[in-house]
Amino acid sequence: MNEAFFYFLQQLLNGLTVGSTYALIAIGYTMVYGIIGMINFAHGEVYMIGCYVTFIALTGLAMLGLESVPLLILGAFILSIIVTSAYGYSIERVAYRPLRGSHRLIPLISAIGMSILLQNFVRVAQGARDIAMPSLVTGGVTLGNEASFHASLSYMQIIIFVTTLMAMIALSIFISRSRTGRACRACAEDIKMTGLLGINSNAIIGITFVIGAILAAVAGVLLSLYYGVVNPYIGFMAGLKAFTAAVLGGIGSIPGAVLGGLVLGVTEAMTSGYLSSQYKDVVAFALLIMILLLRPTGILGRPEVEKV
Amino acid sequence: MSKTNQRISKLFATIALAGITSYSLAAEPIKIALAGPVTGPVAQYGDMQSIGALMAIEQINKSGGVNGSMLEAVTYDDACDPKQAVAVANKIVNDDIRFVVGHLCSGSTQPAADIYEEEGILMITAASTTPELTQRGHTLIFRTIGLDTMQGPAAGKYVVEQLKPKRAAILHDKQQYGEGIATAVKSALDTAGIPVALFEGVTAGDKDFSALIAKMKKENIDFVYFGGYHPEMGMLLRQAAENKLEATFMGPEGVGNSDISAIAGEASEGMLVTLPKAFDADPKNAHLVEAFKAKNQDPRGAFVFPAYAAVQVMADAMTLSKSQDPEVLASTIRSNSFDTPTGVLEFDDKGDLKNFSFVVYEWHADGSKTALTNE
Repeated sequence: MNEAFFYFLQQLLNGLTVGSTYALIAIGYTMVYGIIGMINFAHGEVYMIGCYVTFIALTGLAMLGLESVPLLILGAFILSIIVTSAYGYSIERVAYRPLRGSHRLIPLISAIGMSILLQNFVRVAQGARDIAMPSLVTGGVTLGNEASFHASLSYMQIIIFVTTLMAMIALSIFISRSRTGRACRACAEDIKMTGLLGINSNAIIGITFVIGAILAAVAGVLLSLYYGVVNPYIGFMAGLKAFTAAVLGGIGSIPGAVLGGLVLGVTEAMTSGYLSSQYKDVVAFALLIMILLLRPTGILGRPEVEKV
Repeated sequence: MSKTNQRISKLFATIALAGITSYSLAAEPIKIALAGPVTGPVAQYGDMQSIGALMAIEQINKSGGVNGSMLEAVTYDDACDPKQAVAVANKIVNDDIRFVVGHLCSGSTQPAADIYEEEGILMITAASTTPELTQRGHTLIFRTIGLDTMQGPAAGKYVVEQLKPKRAAILHDKQQYGEGIATAVKSALDTAGIPVALFEGVTAGDKDFSALIAKMKKENIDFVYFGGYHPEMGMLLRQAAENKLEATFMGPEGVGNSDISAIAGEASEGMLVTLPKAFDADPKNAHLVEAFKAKNQDPRGAFVFPAYAAVQVMADAMTLSKSQDPEVLASTIRSNSFDTPTGVLEFDDKGDLKNFSFVVYEWHADGSKTALTNE
């Protein structure tokens, strides 16, 4: 096996790492859209809050004398998930529920307002400058001959793959097997009808926001550990990319969001690797336009049924 | 005439009389407007300018002022906002002040400078480095700091003469400042025949450079220049260290602040950066550094001494020409040289300094730096 192959492998791994985190955030967009047909633009900010909680949790736990890295990370996951779900639920309660039943564009504006509010709230509370921490997980495995160009897979990348995979499996079991999951699917089919059949659709919508927030928190913990830097503005960029991934895969479809995230991540890495990082976003968005031209509902999206 | 009206006119009369009395008592002070951000996210830069300028005014007044008149500072806040800068400039015009030290951010200096030029006000900025500012044929606009276009060649010269890399990569953040400097560095390397294997832009705000770093590893890059600011440079350094890319990194003054060490940690050790000379370390400025310390002020800020120099150039020009006419002063400034704490300053026709040296520093993980070049 030669250098060119390992270079390709390296870029593929880089792309899949970024792509898995896009996928985690994209699920939040796609699930909310699937049920209430609205884009939750504040979702990127929920991810950003997940990152901040990770930083605070890690520092706090370390100050309490916890030294084991796996326990620290576990603690960060638990705290980040709890706090971020509270945010996800409250956002729905405060910004969207009072507007239920109004015109489609109104909650959209409310979402943008929420996004600005959260961004500035964190900016005031935590400062506008980058906060950084040292890498907790270092090292990795080498693939290929050490002497020439070889691909390397860091332990952190492995953690990202495994965690993302576990989160996806857990989500699909929840959606396909549990009672609440079935109610979620029913709401996505026809929210009025499920209401008539005695399911509390408001509660189901609340749960959807919480699930989205949990996955955003998972992405927040993983990316905080991976990059080690956070500032109040990261939510915007991450949200934009994840939203693109969701649209690419077919908004409303959960496997679509995952596929869209991975495709977007790999496209970006390959463009940087073989063309120029200057054209990374150009190629990614050109791909989005192409796919939407050929399949207007995205890769795995189902055709929109006009509800009468 | 109603009672209120009577009272108001009496009040005005008193004020007018008071004005005349104070006018007759002493020679009118020469007012200098200090325009820059007093509030807002970059207020610390405004602080640097104001402590430098105020110190200069104090020193000049202590030694008898200018042609028998004292200097007086009037502070204006533009918050580094171009819209507010225009309002401030108009206010300065209305307040009949004819000398301005400022503004700070290039974006707000540019629109304000247009107003000063039109209204015949002399302006010297101690901080705005955009080349465009002085390229529009203005005659009353000067600066006591270098230009973005001077920094790239300074960095390029050091790379070509000292580092001599085998294969270089030049990156930038696709913005005016970063791309401009990166292009200048590239042309220096091209002239010297050093192969530039990569010349690419990255998106400001991006966090993931793993694909780019893998590419640089494959290309056997041993030198990376990044034109941009510290957040992206920090991530580049950090991810390069994690992926064992063994290359020397270099950047402009936009990466040279303590935040880089916070972001990149150990990986920031050994980074090269071009910065204006540390004027506070110059032994002949020791008395000024003492004077700043006595007032509990920090003389290390990049704009403190350039602001001091701006005030001094104005005052010296007034002494030399025995005039307070901005037009006369502008031609005096162009045709003379001025001995200031930032060195002997000479200005060209555009109003820029003929020489302004950037020094190459080696950065350390604890946020300190050592100079690698003298001038």
